Amino acid sequence: MTNLHNDRQNNLVSFLRHHQPLPPDAPVDLEQLLIDSLEPHPRQRRLSLNFKTFRTAWTIPRGIVFRAPAKLIATGFLFTSVSFGVKTPRIALEPKDLDNFLVKNWHDTLDSNIYSYAAGEKPEAYWLLPTISEPQPALSFAAQ
Amino acid sequence: MSKILACEQASEIDARSAAGLVTEQELIFLCQQGDRDCFRLLYQRYQQRVRSTLYQLCGSALLDDLVQEVFLKAWKGLPKLKTAKYFSTWLYRISWNVATDQRRKLARGPEKTSLNEKAWEKEELDSTKFTNAESAPDLMQLHYQDLVQRGLSNLSFEHRAVLVLHDLEDLPQKQVAEVLNVPVGTVKSRLFHARNSLRDFLEQQGISL
Repeated sequence: MTNLHNDRQNNLVSFLRHHQPLPPDAPVDLEQLLIDSLEPHPRQRRLSLNFKTFRTAWTIPRGIVFRAPAKLIATGFLFTSVSFGVKTPRIALEPKDLDNFLVKNWHDTLDSNIYSYAAGEKPEAYWLLPTISEPQPALSFAAQ
Repeated sequence: MSKILACEQASEIDARSAAGLVTEQELIFLCQQGDRDCFRLLYQRYQQRVRSTLYQLCGSALLDDLVQEVFLKAWKGLPKLKTAKYFSTWLYRISWNVATDQRRKLARGPEKTSLNEKAWEKEELDSTKFTNAESAPDLMQLHYQDLVQRGLSNLSFEHRAVLVLHDLEDLPQKQVAEVLNVPVGTVKSRLFHARNSLRDFLEQQGISL
C-alpha cells in the first residue's frame, strides 16, 4: 500500500518535473541593467565618510601631541613639583611645620569626640541603630 | 590604476569561478564587501532558479521586473546576512516575499474575472509556445506543459509555493519550511493536499499517473 502510494507520488513528481512550463528567456541586457542599478552598500558609504571624519578629527590631536610637550618643556613645567593630585609624603624639615602638623591633627582628632561627649550626646554608634520616633515636647509647650 | 587592478581581480575571480575554485561563501563574502563583479557571478548562478520559481508562482507578466527586484533586495540585504551557507534559502525567501507582494498588488488591482483568467492562461500558453517555437515544438510536450501550468494555477498560492519549491525546485522539506516560515508539519500537509489536487486535475484532463 505504502509502496503503491510512493510510486504514485514519484510518478506525479517526475511528470511535473518533466513537463513543467519553462520561463521565457531573460532579456540579454537584464544582467547589465541589474548590475548598473546596484547602489553602493551603506557600509561602504559609512566607511568613506568615517575616513574623512577620521582625518579631520586627527588634525587637532596631532597639534596637541607635537606642540604641547614642546611648550611644556620650554616653560619648565614638567620639572616643577606639581603633583597632579598624587599626594606624596613630605618630611617636615622645619620645627614650625612639625608643630603646625601636630596641632592640626591632634585638634581634628579630639574635636568631634570631646564636644559630642561634653554635650551629652550619644557616641557615633548611635547613628547605626534604628531610629525611634519620639514625641516632640517643644512644639506642644509652644502650643500651650 | 585601481580600475585596472579591479578589472584584473574580477577577471581572476571569473577564471577561478569558471574553474569552480571560488566557493559560494567566498563570493558572498566579497559581495558583502560591495564587489559587484562577484554579485554578477552570484546572479548568473541563481537567476535561472529564481526566474523559474517566480514564473511558476506569478506567471510571465512582470517576470523580469520581479527577478530584478529579488536581486536588488538581495544586494541590499547581503551585508546583514550573517551565515553565508543559508544564502540559497535566504534568496528563495526573498523570492517568496516578492511573489507574495506581487500577488497582494494584483489582488488590490482589477479583480481577476474569468475573462482575465482566460487571457492570462492564453498569455502563458503563448509564451510557452514562443519559447519552444525555435526548437521544433513537440505538440504533446506543449499540451502537457499547458496542463501543468493550469493545474498549478488552480492551486491556492500557499499550496502552489510548497509544490513548486519541493517538487520542482527540489528543496528539502526543512528548507521549504524555512523559506515559507512555517513548521515542517505544515509543509507536509500542504504538499499532500497540493499533490492530490493536482493529480485530480490531471486525471480530469485524461492523464492518469
